[in-house]
Amino acid sequence: MCRALPDSELVRKKLQAMTETEKNFAAEDLEALMRASLAGDKQAYAALLRASARLLRPFLARRLNTASEVEDVLQEVLLSIHKARHTYDGTRPYKPWAYAIAKFRLNDYLRMHYADQLQQAVDIDDLENILHADVTETGLSYESISGEVEKLPDKQAMILQLLHRDGYTAKEAAHRLGMTESAVKVAAHRAYKVLRERLER
Amino acid sequence: MTDIEQLVEALAAQAEQVRPAPHPFALAAKLAAAAALYLALALAASGLRPDFAQAWHHPWYAAELLALLLLFLASTCSVALLGFPDLHQKRALAYAPPGLFALFALLLAFAWQADTPPAPLPVHSWQCSLSIMLVALLPAAWTFYALRRYASTHFRLAGSIALLSAFSVGALWLRLHEVNDSIYHVVLWHYLPMLAAGFIGLWLGNKLLRW
Repeated sequence: MCRALPDSELVRKKLQAMTETEKNFAAEDLEALMRASLAGDKQAYAALLRASARLLRPFLARRLNTASEVEDVLQEVLLSIHKARHTYDGTRPYKPWAYAIAKFRLNDYLRMHYADQLQQAVDIDDLENILHADVTETGLSYESISGEVEKLPDKQAMILQLLHRDGYTAKEAAHRLGMTESAVKVAAHRAYKVLRERLER
Repeated sequence: MTDIEQLVEALAAQAEQVRPAPHPFALAAKLAAAAALYLALALAASGLRPDFAQAWHHPWYAAELLALLLLFLASTCSVALLGFPDLHQKRALAYAPPGLFALFALLLAFAWQADTPPAPLPVHSWQCSLSIMLVALLPAAWTFYALRRYASTHFRLAGSIALLSAFSVGALWLRLHEVNDSIYHVVLWHYLPMLAAGFIGLWLGNKLLRW
């Protein structure tokens, strides 16, 4: 008489017998992988987390600006899947469960990110008196300070490169980076301030 | 090796047998059974209204009690579903309580219209809200305690419905205990505070159920 094998045993046997491509295909049977993971199968759990990362990366990439943000949120999502795995019983589809967690962590990240930005935001009216008429004119050549520019945060460095090395206007840079023109000017202003302080030292 | 790959390996190394959380209906049944026992004890201590047999034959009173019971059951089920990140893929049931509360308000509006001449107002007022709140404290505490062991992605709504469920236990107790037929009093001092508790639950959910 044939005895039914537990999920974890089935998944392990399948994974051992398969080629790399087949393994990737098998990893899509996420419900079985999760059931095996809940039974304590480390190999199945690693395959499940990898498959989840593959599944969720495009979802996050469509909603976030940079690759580093995507990686950060993806890590948070995987940690949350790990923490909440007891709320999945293996009898319902896995993807809606994983997407619900991904959406939750994404919203959490965006809420914190924008709250942070709001705290650091400078009222554009306050800057009217101190901003240059043309924000791209600073009186210094880009080449002479390019070393310092590279030490700035990614976004500020990118804005200065576009404005001063590549000759973009603030409007064009804003279009290129998916930001508003005001945001580019404010970021550039902050970068000038940092550069000025560093160069005066 | 990428950060994600390192994380996957670290998490996989921690894999061990995990007991899945009970089905949300099992959790809801546990919460409802605990609430029923608590309600029975509270009524045993305080006493059922002496004219209950007569009042039960009053159709609006009976309808109000049954609707309140339905609201309690629906909100308890909803709380259990809201503990799961994906609402256990029963979205309609998880979101049912606000709609049921609206129907309950409609029922009260009809009962109010039918209350002619109006029943006499009792001499007390805010004491009812306070009594409901005190009775609701324990069910609220155990519901939040149960929810914290899950992983709610709708923590504000979960907090709100948890308080609605707890306050519906308190409201049921008072309607079964207090000799009072004034629908005006009941709406003002029983059910509006219950609605307010639902809003406070949004804040409480944010404080207690984030993970």
